[in-house]
Amino acid sequence: MVCIFKNVTPLAEHYSKLTFPHVSTKTVQLTSGKIAIKSSNTILLYELCQQFPHGITDQVIQNDMPHLEAQQRAMAINRLLSLGQLDLLRNSSGLLYRMKDAQTASKMKGSDNQEKLVYQVIEDAGNKGIWSRDIRYKSNLPLTEINKILKNLESKKLIKAVKSVAASKKKVYMLYNLQPDRSVTGGAWYSDQDFESEFVEVLNQQCFKFLQSKAEVARDSKQSPMVQRNSSFATSHEVWKYICELGISKVDLSMEDIETILNTLIYDGKVEMTIIAAKEGTVGSVDGQMKLYRGVNPIIQPTGLVKAPCGLCPVFDDCHEGGEISPSNCVYMAEWLDF
Amino acid sequence: MTAQEVRLCGLLLQEHFGEVVERIGTHLLRGGAQNLRTIANETNTPLDLVKKSLCVLVQHGVCDFGSGRRGPGSPVEYRGNCERVLRILRYPRYIYTAKTLYGDTGELIVEEVLQRGHMTMSNTVKTVADRLTHNMEEGRSMEYSEVVSSFSKLVETHFLQRCPPVAETATAAPSATPATHRTPASVTPPTAESNPDCYKLPPVTLTGRGKRRRSSDDGEEPGGVKKAKMDSESCGDEGIYWQVNFERFHQHFRDQAIISAVASKLDQTSSEIVRTMLRMSEVTTTPTAAYTQPLSANEIFRSLPPNYSISRPILDQGGSLTGRSDLHRALANLARATLESVVQERFGSRSARIFRLLLRKRHLEQKQVEDFAMIPAKEAKDMLYTLLSENLVQLQEIPKTPDHAPSRTFYLYTVNQLPTARLLLQHCYKTVANLIERRLFETKENKRLLEKSQRIEAILASLQASGAEPEQLTEVEEMITAPERQQLEALRHHINKLDSTENQVDETIFLLESYIISTKSK
Repeated sequence: MVCIFKNVTPLAEHYSKLTFPHVSTKTVQLTSGKIAIKSSNTILLYELCQQFPHGITDQVIQNDMPHLEAQQRAMAINRLLSLGQLDLLRNSSGLLYRMKDAQTASKMKGSDNQEKLVYQVIEDAGNKGIWSRDIRYKSNLPLTEINKILKNLESKKLIKAVKSVAASKKKVYMLYNLQPDRSVTGGAWYSDQDFESEFVEVLNQQCFKFLQSKAEVARDSKQSPMVQRNSSFATSHEVWKYICELGISKVDLSMEDIETILNTLIYDGKVEMTIIAAKEGTVGSVDGQMKLYRGVNPIIQPTGLVKAPCGLCPVFDDCHEGGEISPSNCVYMAEWLDF
Repeated sequence: MTAQEVRLCGLLLQEHFGEVVERIGTHLLRGGAQNLRTIANETNTPLDLVKKSLCVLVQHGVCDFGSGRRGPGSPVEYRGNCERVLRILRYPRYIYTAKTLYGDTGELIVEEVLQRGHMTMSNTVKTVADRLTHNMEEGRSMEYSEVVSSFSKLVETHFLQRCPPVAETATAAPSATPATHRTPASVTPPTAESNPDCYKLPPVTLTGRGKRRRSSDDGEEPGGVKKAKMDSESCGDEGIYWQVNFERFHQHFRDQAIISAVASKLDQTSSEIVRTMLRMSEVTTTPTAAYTQPLSANEIFRSLPPNYSISRPILDQGGSLTGRSDLHRALANLARATLESVVQERFGSRSARIFRLLLRKRHLEQKQVEDFAMIPAKEAKDMLYTLLSENLVQLQEIPKTPDHAPSRTFYLYTVNQLPTARLLLQHCYKTVANLIERRLFETKENKRLLEKSQRIEAILASLQASGAEPEQLTEVEEMITAPERQQLEALRHHINKLDSTENQVDETIFLLESYIISTKSK
């Protein structure tokens, strides 16, 4: 977060225009003469930060450098912040200052404050990405500025735009090297924003065949009914292994993906599921439970209503005796009767 | 009494009883309770015809009468019973069930009672014996005792019951004490079950054999006249009329449906267990009970048919030690499966997936439906809207803000099982009515052809009986040309198909009706 202290020195802008030599290690090259007058405090602060890579609070700085007054401390911190060496974070007990990663520090050279601001906002959005309008809200910058900055950052290959699956016209921005989150790309079932229905269908059928063959084997074994029933169950882990071994998927599928496929089979009425308690540590158990799946037959045959053409007729509601469409002149019935 | 139901009832009444009865019947069904004068005036039929049709309707239990609304002094009012008319559709199923359970004798008994509405036992036995004798070979005839035994078996298992005694007329009411009679001022007619002797056979012994009916036997022996007189003597059970106990048959159908569902879901053995449990509680549960009586595992094990040798441990594993079937749940599941199958056949397996998903998860947003069902967004949207337009799926709005702004409202899709079942039931009634009308239409279209074939058959039969030569027979047969014969065949095929489909749709009607009734009684 960029913190706007009340006493930000105007020199901050001046410093940011300095070119920094590329630092690969955290050796202090600030001792170059180009740093301005109050560098001693800054350098001390910098070294202190290096000692505590997880961040330091105000308290720590005070303990270490008791001679530093509050205002001087603030100035030094601001300097380091504007130079992009420090990160300002907030935790439960107050503000935290942390060394910024050297790599990222180098990238921001040549960028001005606004760009840094936008960059930080995008970074905070993590791998879900953030929409341009939200960037505008968070940074309070006008739209034209935002667009310019975004274009700039994109050309510098610092951020990238990812099309969202939910709304195909919306673009979210995220850091260049991050993997987009599943909710944005849709996970394994989407490839380039297209839902892969054939892929899902194929997986569907494979899982069903596997469960069905298992049920048949169990039925043919002619043991007592309870044993038969138990052996016709398959855990989600087994199904996952089977699908991975089949190798029909070019994308790696997790167990949760397989479970969503199995759920669709449940909604097709072909499979039923039970949950049993399993010890932690047994293969495939999640939170102390295991899901078992089993192929089933439908409990009734297609019902009587659909054996008549009226049950499937698209103009059922318009059909009246004596009207244009009536049982006496029904074309569907005529065809069906001659069948 | 919806319009569809009334239309179907009208068609059934017309087929079974004729035009006049149909007119009176539909008028009664549409108009509620009416007295004689109103019926006669509004339907423009002469009074005696009205009386006769009312007799027919009462005989078959379609029409009830009770004292009028203005108290015991007002004229009697008649009420039509729509449900009872719809049972007519199910007669073939009843007869078939009786046949599977009790053989030909049972089948004929049930058929006779269904045709006549109410019958005495002696009458039934005689008619059935005669019919059976007629179909047997020469020289053999049916013993009355066999028919009586079938009859008593039917009564024992409650498939037949006595008709309820008729309430006293209004004039006798004041003199009767309320303790002994149901006062006629009460509007509800006594049910069959209220009679404690409902399932008791009358103490008569019928001996004799069935008489073979000869078509050319006009001049009966003088003994025949005497025999006829003897037959019409009272056999001691005058006034005790029997009717078919529809509820019992329905219970039987329901049990069958549950057993076959269990068989396909689990396996054969479990279905046998369930069948035994249901059979043992057949006579002890009332038709509307939610649960069967609890039975211990011992009883179940003892009553299992001996050729199913299942060891005790397996029986124990198969279910709780005191088995109890939840009939409501079973019916709800069957009704749900029916709805799902209709959606599947009509709209495709993907729409069926969405439908089942909504049934399970109750309320879902558009996006969630797509995710769970793994169907592309565009197609899912299309299917949901189709289902919505057919009223199989409903939309529930949940506003986020007090002004129900569409952008700030949740729209959830949901399926309500009970209203959807009612909707489908009405569809079924309309379908059956359509099938019947089509059948009548087809018959009417080919009336000329049918009449011609009937005439030719009659000529053939008379020629054969009087011993004609083969050439004459072939000459007569050739009067029907080949294309006409084909047409006749096609017509016969059509009518059979329509008939059998009516029965199949009736199965759906039965499932849905049982489900709806079981929810009402909760």
